[in-house]
Amino acid sequence: MKKLAELYEDEIQVILAKYPDEQKRSAVMPLLYLAQRASGRISQEAMQEIAEILDIAITDVASIVGFYSLFHEEPGGRYRIQVCTDLPCALRGADAFLRQLCDLLGVEVGETTADGLFTIEEVKCLAACHRAPVFQVQNGDGLEYHENQTIDTARLVIDELRLRAQKPPGGAA
Amino acid sequence: MTDKLVHLTIDNIPVSVPPDTLVVDAAKQAGINIPVFCYHPKLHPVGMCRMCLVEIGRPLLDRASGEFVRDADGAPKLQFSPKLETACTTPVTEGMVVITNSQKVADARREVLEFILTSHPLDCPICDKGGECPLQNLTMEHGPGQSRFLFDEKMHLDKHVPLGELIYLDRERCIQCGRCVRFQNEVADDPVIAFSQRGRALEIITQSTPGFDSIFSGNTTDICPVGALTTADFRFAARPWELKAAASICQHCAVGCNIVFNVRREALQGGRMVIKRVMPRQNEQVNEIWICDKGRFAYHYVESPQRLTQPMIRKDGALIEAEWDEALDLVAKKLTAYGASLVTLAGGRLSNEDLFNLYSLTHTQGGQAVLYSYMAGGDLTAQVGIPPQTDLGKLGAGCVILVIACDLHEEAPLWWLRIKAAAQRGASLIVLNPRTTRLDRYARHVIRYEYGAELAALSAFQPQSRGDLPEPVRSAVKTFQEAENVIILYGSEGLGLQESKALAHACAGLLIKTYHIGRSNNGLVAAWHNANLQGAWDMGFSPINNLAETLSKAGVTYVVATDPAGDDPQLAEALQHSGFLVVQDILMTETVKMADVFLPAQAYMERGGSYTSGERRLQRFYPAVPPPGNTLPDFAITARISQRLGRTAEEQSPARILLQIAATNPAYAEMDYQLLAQVHEQQPLMGRHDLYYGGTTYENRQGLGAHLSTAASRVEPLNIPDAPPPPVFPVQEGLLTVVPTTRLYDRGSLLIHSNLLHQRLAHPTLTMHPKTAEAYQLSRGQTAVMLLEKTPYRVEIDLDEDLPHGIALLPRSVGIPLNAPQAVKLRPES
Repeated sequence: MKKLAELYEDEIQVILAKYPDEQKRSAVMPLLYLAQRASGRISQEAMQEIAEILDIAITDVASIVGFYSLFHEEPGGRYRIQVCTDLPCALRGADAFLRQLCDLLGVEVGETTADGLFTIEEVKCLAACHRAPVFQVQNGDGLEYHENQTIDTARLVIDELRLRAQKPPGGAA
Repeated sequence: MTDKLVHLTIDNIPVSVPPDTLVVDAAKQAGINIPVFCYHPKLHPVGMCRMCLVEIGRPLLDRASGEFVRDADGAPKLQFSPKLETACTTPVTEGMVVITNSQKVADARREVLEFILTSHPLDCPICDKGGECPLQNLTMEHGPGQSRFLFDEKMHLDKHVPLGELIYLDRERCIQCGRCVRFQNEVADDPVIAFSQRGRALEIITQSTPGFDSIFSGNTTDICPVGALTTADFRFAARPWELKAAASICQHCAVGCNIVFNVRREALQGGRMVIKRVMPRQNEQVNEIWICDKGRFAYHYVESPQRLTQPMIRKDGALIEAEWDEALDLVAKKLTAYGASLVTLAGGRLSNEDLFNLYSLTHTQGGQAVLYSYMAGGDLTAQVGIPPQTDLGKLGAGCVILVIACDLHEEAPLWWLRIKAAAQRGASLIVLNPRTTRLDRYARHVIRYEYGAELAALSAFQPQSRGDLPEPVRSAVKTFQEAENVIILYGSEGLGLQESKALAHACAGLLIKTYHIGRSNNGLVAAWHNANLQGAWDMGFSPINNLAETLSKAGVTYVVATDPAGDDPQLAEALQHSGFLVVQDILMTETVKMADVFLPAQAYMERGGSYTSGERRLQRFYPAVPPPGNTLPDFAITARISQRLGRTAEEQSPARILLQIAATNPAYAEMDYQLLAQVHEQQPLMGRHDLYYGGTTYENRQGLGAHLSTAASRVEPLNIPDAPPPPVFPVQEGLLTVVPTTRLYDRGSLLIHSNLLHQRLAHPTLTMHPKTAEAYQLSRGQTAVMLLEKTPYRVEIDLDEDLPHGIALLPRSVGIPLNAPQAVKLRPES
């Protein structure tokens, strides 16, 4: 796998320039976004590289990756579909919705579709209880919200994502 | 301290403490225990565990007048916070009223404990901490007898997570107090463990290679308030209440950390007393409450199968076991025959008492007392060293600590901790070294010099030094000149014996010229490579330049506690040529194999004695385990030889030998074993009821030792020898100059027996700048052959861009006898 420094040489310089030299550890979050954008997850190698760039211990980097639930160490699909099933969402049918979504994609929670496009995750609180069922789609470092969902509206979103996946990355939006 | 004291009452007891004292510490001073888990007196408070909740009332202030509002009786009106407050994060204020014994506080403690125990496995019967566990103790004292949570619903997590090969983590015992993480961050500056995840999933992780890569890692097991962190050494090895504690001094470097050997009788060992673990013993002036992992794990040599326990005599070419009398008679006969051609070669792990007897024997025979060491200057530290009342733990603003030619983190780990802390308190640290070391980060001034140029680098600090110095030297010199107190500490980075001698002389000269001698917090310190090299100098030993030649000409050579033949083939050859060879040691070594007579000594934990640390603190160690077989203490063996030569010598009591030392050496004049055994109360309080407070570090009950005076502090005339000839740094066309560096985990004759540390031992690795490697057509990981005094040695090549060009670094004591900079022939292995 290519190193971050090769993939994002300019971006890294721009990020580092925002922080004084003795405080460059503050750049750890934006660099982790870059790493996740590159491969959908943050690998050991990426953590090591970030630690070296920032002159901090890799354990510190791993600690931050571990703290934030939107940083992923394990490989997953290109799109991570995260469904909230906390109590208020469940009252509005999130559990049933999650079941239908799993059936639609043919995978269980935590699994990735065979084409490598979708991983379904069950998460806690997306701050939209009143518009449940709600899910968010995480693609690298980007997030989009889909509220008031039914399995039919979700199917449209998934079809749209499949289409998007066929376009070359970085193409016109 | 001119600061006013703050007055408050805790449980109606009036307490007066300095401002900024935390309530929990103020209570401790009043004898009131406020239970804590996450708080530790040596770490910054975080208030994470909530165990220290107390009621706090503060007097109401009238905003207009700034006076206390008073009730009808004239007493200040108190305002209590509606909720309990954490005593570990709240500093005291004037007039504060703290209540720790109310029902409200008791309820809070009970509830916090019930909460902490929801995720705790309660496996105390098989937990190594059981018996010395703060969680266990505090639960007994403050906890609920029963939990409202269901035992069967407890979270179960991994119980055997190796954070490295030295420290194991039990995830379900961990109560997430973060003491270990904070110790590694704040004290050790090795942030190699951290929290990951959050909430119920919060866990300790390490990502370093090797795991938990810190030479201070063992200390986390002492301050862990539960059995979550345990050492591979003590895991499932014994129960704490079975252990006896024998006070001792660490013998692995010059710091002289106070330790305890925990011992017990063991059926597996035939009922013998065995050492189960090494624990730190508090001495705030030496090691505070910490020790390094070398000191903690390197004691295993004492139980090595290679221990020798019977005298031996060479008969028909082979070493045959013999009785003491036969062996000693033979030695005495040879000494009588050869008289003054005796050369005694002593190692730096011998006690003062051993060395005194050895020196007496050698001196009265007219022989030569030689110290096996590549460092010099012990005569100078005895004159202009740091005198009594010097405390590295109190140095701060106004002090300059100049560290030269020293990788302190490797050479004397605890001094690294303490000098780092001194710099953080405001002392000005000046580091002069040819390469980056871990001390640089805390230095006010870092000066790089080329290997071999240490004298030139130091000369800039001379008072008459010119004003046209380049930066950063100029600012460093300015700091040095403005300092009230100066301590110079030198090590052995890139130096051989001659270089060390010249550097020590230059450092001493600088201190004398700038009047930084004879006063507390001023003087010269050497980071010796053995525990008692300073003591050996004080007893009359010193190293010599032409050791091989001297040995080869000796009529009788008496080698004690060192292995020259194993270290260096040249010395082995010299010993071949020397006359009668008497070797006194505890383990089988290459030198022992060459002996004509072998005399089995006792390891230092098998007898008593005293060591003089690099700070010149005289400290006493006690017997911890009984000696094996037919061994004797070194001082007794030497005494018996002396007696056979018709002289009196003390063979029974090291205490009496110290009295003889006191009678002959003015620095030791008032020293005796009673004085060394004296203690006074130290803060923070360790041991006792307070395991929850400071951890399992032992309280010091067996003696804090005594700091020796120096010739300067006694205001005696100094006797500084003439400057030795400046050494020539070896540079030769077509050859690579290799310089020795000191590594903590080397392959020394004692350390090699500790299996636990094997993975971390230094290798014969030649480290150089990539461009230098290129010039020799070498790359990282490649094996090369280095020709040293005609002997080829295989070395692995490593690269480091921070190193200067044109030289290479080789660790000492890894099987290659490089003790001074040397130009060598180097070629890739064919």
